[in-house]
Amino acid sequence: METIGKPLKRRSRIHSSEQRVAYICLIPAFLGLIFLTYAPLVGVLGISLTNWTGLKSPEFVGFDNYVKLFTTDPYIKDSIIATIYFAFLSVAGSMIYSLFIAMLLNRKIPARGFFRAVFYVPFVLPAVAIYVGWSWLYEANFGFFNYLLSEVGLNKILFIADSRYVVPSLSLIAVWLAGNLIVIFLAGLQNVPSVYHEAAEMDGANGWKRFRHITLPCMTPIIFYNLLMSLIANLQVVTPALALTNGGPGNSSRFMTYLMYDQAFVNYKLGYACATTFIIFAILAAFTAVLFKTSNRWIFSEGGDDK
Amino acid sequence: MSEAAYGRLKSKKRSERTANVITLVVVLFFAVLVLFPIWWIFRTSLMTNAEIYRFPPSLLPADWLFSNYEKTLKVFKFWKYLWNTMVIIVPSCLAGTFTATLCGYAFARLRFRGKQLIWALCIGSMLLPAMVTLIPLYIGWTRGLGLHDSYLPLILPYFCGGGAFNIFLIRQFILSIPRELDQAATIDGAGYFRILFSIIMPAIKPAMIVVALFIFIGLWNDLLQQMIYINSSDKYTIALGLTNFRGQLKQEWSLTMAATCLSFAPGVLFYLIGQKYFVEGITMTGMKN
Amino acid sequence: MKAGKRLGGVLLAAVLAIGAAGCGNSENNEKSAAPTGGESSKAPENTSSPTKKVKITYSMWGSAEEGNTTQAVADKFNASQDRIEVEVMAIPWENYMTKLNTLATANQLPDTGMLREDGVIQWSSQGMLNDVGSMYEGSDSKPLDSLAYKYQGKTVAYAAANEILLLYYNKDMFDKAGVPYPPSALDQAWTWDEFVAAAKKLTIDKNGKHPGEDGFDSQSIVQYGASVENLPWQLETWAISNGGGFYNNDGTEVRIGENASVEAIQKVADLYLKDHVAPLSVGQTDDGIQRTVIAGTVAMATNGQWNVGTSLNTAKEQGLNYGVAVLPYMNEKVTLNTGGANVVFSQTKHPEEAMEWLKWYTSEENNWGLISSGIWMPVLEKWYTDETLTRKWVENPNFPPYDEYKSAVVDYAQSSAARPASWFYTNHTTEFNTLLGSILGDVWTGKTTAADAISKNLEALKAAHSGSQ
Repeated sequence: METIGKPLKRRSRIHSSEQRVAYICLIPAFLGLIFLTYAPLVGVLGISLTNWTGLKSPEFVGFDNYVKLFTTDPYIKDSIIATIYFAFLSVAGSMIYSLFIAMLLNRKIPARGFFRAVFYVPFVLPAVAIYVGWSWLYEANFGFFNYLLSEVGLNKILFIADSRYVVPSLSLIAVWLAGNLIVIFLAGLQNVPSVYHEAAEMDGANGWKRFRHITLPCMTPIIFYNLLMSLIANLQVVTPALALTNGGPGNSSRFMTYLMYDQAFVNYKLGYACATTFIIFAILAAFTAVLFKTSNRWIFSEGGDDK
Repeated sequence: MSEAAYGRLKSKKRSERTANVITLVVVLFFAVLVLFPIWWIFRTSLMTNAEIYRFPPSLLPADWLFSNYEKTLKVFKFWKYLWNTMVIIVPSCLAGTFTATLCGYAFARLRFRGKQLIWALCIGSMLLPAMVTLIPLYIGWTRGLGLHDSYLPLILPYFCGGGAFNIFLIRQFILSIPRELDQAATIDGAGYFRILFSIIMPAIKPAMIVVALFIFIGLWNDLLQQMIYINSSDKYTIALGLTNFRGQLKQEWSLTMAATCLSFAPGVLFYLIGQKYFVEGITMTGMKN
Repeated sequence: MKAGKRLGGVLLAAVLAIGAAGCGNSENNEKSAAPTGGESSKAPENTSSPTKKVKITYSMWGSAEEGNTTQAVADKFNASQDRIEVEVMAIPWENYMTKLNTLATANQLPDTGMLREDGVIQWSSQGMLNDVGSMYEGSDSKPLDSLAYKYQGKTVAYAAANEILLLYYNKDMFDKAGVPYPPSALDQAWTWDEFVAAAKKLTIDKNGKHPGEDGFDSQSIVQYGASVENLPWQLETWAISNGGGFYNNDGTEVRIGENASVEAIQKVADLYLKDHVAPLSVGQTDDGIQRTVIAGTVAMATNGQWNVGTSLNTAKEQGLNYGVAVLPYMNEKVTLNTGGANVVFSQTKHPEEAMEWLKWYTSEENNWGLISSGIWMPVLEKWYTDETLTRKWVENPNFPPYDEYKSAVVDYAQSSAARPASWFYTNHTTEFNTLLGSILGDVWTGKTTAADAISKNLEALKAAHSGSQ
C-alpha cells in the first residue's frame, strides 16, 4: 500500500513546483508569443477585413477580400500549386540529400572537418549572391549549363525561363542550400549513444541493420524536426521568386508568400495581402497538422513524451 | 586471442577501410558539385563586369582582378559593418540560445497546466512568414515604443525564446536524452534548474551551438528587417552594406560578389569553431562511455 | 455603410494598438522624429540653430555612397540660403518602395523624395502626393511636357530625369557581316521587316549559317542578330507602333485585346520562335544590354538610354565599339519616354520648402554627375533645343559620337515619336504589367500564342487596370 501511495503523493508535490519552474522557464516564450506573434496576428486579421493600402486610411469591407481571393483572383490557384509542388520537391530532395551527406560525414574519413564546412557553406551565403550566381549558370541562351549541353551536342534546356523546368530548377538550389539540415543531422548523429552500436556490433548486426534498427529510430525526433522545419520553410518560400524569377515564367514560380509580398508592397493592397496570409496560414497549418498526426506512429522517443 | 578471432578482426578492418575509401570518393564528388556554384561566385568577383556576361563562359577569370577587392573595401566598410552586425548578433545569439533552452526544457521535461495549448501556439507561430507581421510590428516598435533607427527591434525578439524553431530544436534534442539520467538526479534531490544546468545543458551542447549558429546566420543575412528598421548609413550592417553595389541604376556585379566573398567568411569561421564542440567534442565523450 | 466604415476604422485602430505592443506611449505619435540620414534622429530638435531653419528630409534610392554624394549637393543648397535644411536619406534600391510603404503606415514618411515610375499615380490616387504644378510657375525654363506625371488633371510629380528607349548595336559585328548600320535619323528608321532581315544576316550558328539557310541549326547559335527587350512596360512601344496599344490615349480603356496589339507582341516573340534571330528572354532581369550587346552575343538590342551611363560607358572604355539608333517601327514610329519621379509627400508640413529644394536639385547643374556619365538625360527643355547646352552635355567620352547621339537620342526624345510611358497618366500599371508579364510567360517559349493568352485573360487584364481585381 505504501509503495503505491508514496509516489502518488510525491508526484503531486513535484507537480506544483514543477509547474512553477515551467512557467518561469516559459516567460520569454510567453512574451514572444503575445507581442511578436499573436497580437500582430490579430492586427493582420483586422487589416484583412479592410481595404487598407498602407497609405490612405482604411475602410471596413467585411469579407470582400476573401471572397475576391476565392473567386476572381488570377493568381492564387497557380500560386498554391506552384508552392506545394516546390515544397514537395525541395523537402524530399533536401531531406534525402542531407541525411545521406550527414551519414557520410559521420564516418571517419580524412579531412572530415573540411568537408563538413564545405556542405554547410551555401547556407551562409547571402541570398542575392546565391541567386545571381545560379542565374548565370541557368541562363537560357548563354548560361554555363547550356554551354555544357551544347558542347556535348544536346539541346538546350531553358531552366528558369521555362514554366516546366523553373520549379525543379529552383528546388535544386533549395537542396543545395540545405546545409542547415546537415548540421542538425550531424549533431543528432552524435546523440545516438554509441553503446547501442557497440552492443549491436557484438551481436553481429551489419551496417544496414544497424542503420535501420539503431540509427534511424534514435534519429526520428531529429528527422521529424528537420522534416517539419524544411516543410514550413519551403512552403513559405519567397526569395527565389524575389531575386530570380519574379514569379515567372507565367505564374509557375509565383509562390504564395511572394504573391502576398507583391500584393502588400508592390500593389499596396495590404488588406488583400493580409487575407492571403490567412490562406497561407491555413495551408501550412493543414500540412503541419498532418505531419504531427502521423508523427506518433514513427517517432521513437527515448525520453518519452508525456502528452 | 584465437587465430580465427584475429582474422575476423583483420578482415573487418579491411572492409572498413574500403568502405571509408568509397565514402571519401562519394563525399569528394558531392563536395565538388556543392562548391561549383560557390566557385562561380568567387571567379566572378575577380572579373570585369563585361567578362561576367561573355560567351562562352570561362571557369577562370582572364586576369585575376584582385584589385576588385581593394575597390570593394573602399565602398564596403567591412570592419565597421562587421562591428555593427556584431552589436546586433552577440546579444541576440546569447539571449536567443539561453531562452530557447529554458523554453525547450520546459516543453520537453516538465509537466504543467496548459502545456498542450502553449505548445500549439508555439508551433502556430512558426507558420507565419516574417513578412506577414512586418507592418504591425514596425508600427509597434516605431510608433508604439518610439524606436527609430535603432537596433533594438532586431535584438529584443531574441530575448523572447529565440523563435519557435529554436525552442523546438532544443526540445527535440532533450527528448532524445535518456530520461533515466535526470530521474536519477531527481532522486538525488537535485532541483529542476540544477538538472537543467548540470545535466541537460552539457548533454545538448551540440544543439545549443546549432541554435546559436542559426541565429547568427539568420541575422547575418536578414536584409528585409534591417532595411526596414535602420535608416542611417553609419548604422549599416553587412547585409545592408551588400546593397551598396546596387547604385541608382547600375549594379556592380563583380564588386557585389567580392563583398559577398568577404562577408561570408565570419559565418564559416563561426561554424568551424562551433564544429569542434558539437562534433569532435561529443564523439569523444561518447567513446568514453 | 458609413457606420460600418467607421466601425472598421475603430476596429483597425484597436488592433493596431494591440499590434503596437499595447504601449500607449504617445510621445512619438507626432511626426517629430522624422527618420533622418544621421544620428540626429534620437534628438531631432536639439541642434536648433538661432535662425531656426525648416528641416526637410529627402529620400532617394541608391547606395550609402550615393547618399553621401547627394547629401554633399544638399549641403550646398543648405549653405545657399538660410531657411531650409535638407537631409538626405538613402535607401537600398531593392526595397525602396517597401521601406517607403512601411514608413507611410507609421506616418514617418520623408517630406519629399524619389518614387518609382509605377508608384506615382498609385500614391497620388491614395492622396499621398502634393500637387506640384506650381513648381515652375514664372520660371523661364520648364521640363519637357512629356515628363509630368498627371492625375485627375493635376501635375503630381516631375520626372527626376528623362529616359527613352532606343536601339543599341555593335558596330564591329555589323562591319564583319557587311550589313549597314541601323539609322540614327528618325526619317530613315527601319521597318520591322528590314530590322528582321538585318538581324538574320547577323545571326550565325556554329557552322557559320544564317537563319533560313539550309542546314541552319537554331540550337547552336553562337551570335544572335537582335534582342527586343520584353519587359511588359517596354512592350507597349510595339503595341502602339503597330497601331494598337495597352490603353487608349487617356488611359481609361484597355486596348491590349485588339488585333494590332496582340500581333505586335507575337512579332516580338517570333524573333526567337520563328525568325531565330533573338535569344530567349522572359523578362526576368533588368540587365538586358549587359547580357546582349556588351556580352558580345547579340548584334543589336533595344533598351533604355540609361544604359549609356550604367554599363556601356565602361564597356566602351574596354573597347566595345557600339552605336545608337532609333527603334524600328511596325506602322508608326514610336519610342517611350520615362523617368523616376521626384514627389512631395502629402504628409509633409513644409510643401513649399520641399518644392523649392526639388526645383533647385533637379536643375541640371546640381545633378551633373548623373547627367554627364550618361545615366540621366536632362529634364529641362533648353538642353534639347540649345545646341551649346547639348554639346556641353553630350560631348564627353562617356557618350557615343556626338552626331549619332544627337540624332538618335536628343532629337528622338523631343520628336513626335516620343510618347510618355503609360504610368505618367494611368493608374494601376503595376498590377496590369505584372499580370501581363505572367500571361505572356508561356508566349515567349512558344507554348501558347499571344492571341490565345491575351484573349483568355482579357477580363482579368481589364480588372487589373481598373484596380478592382
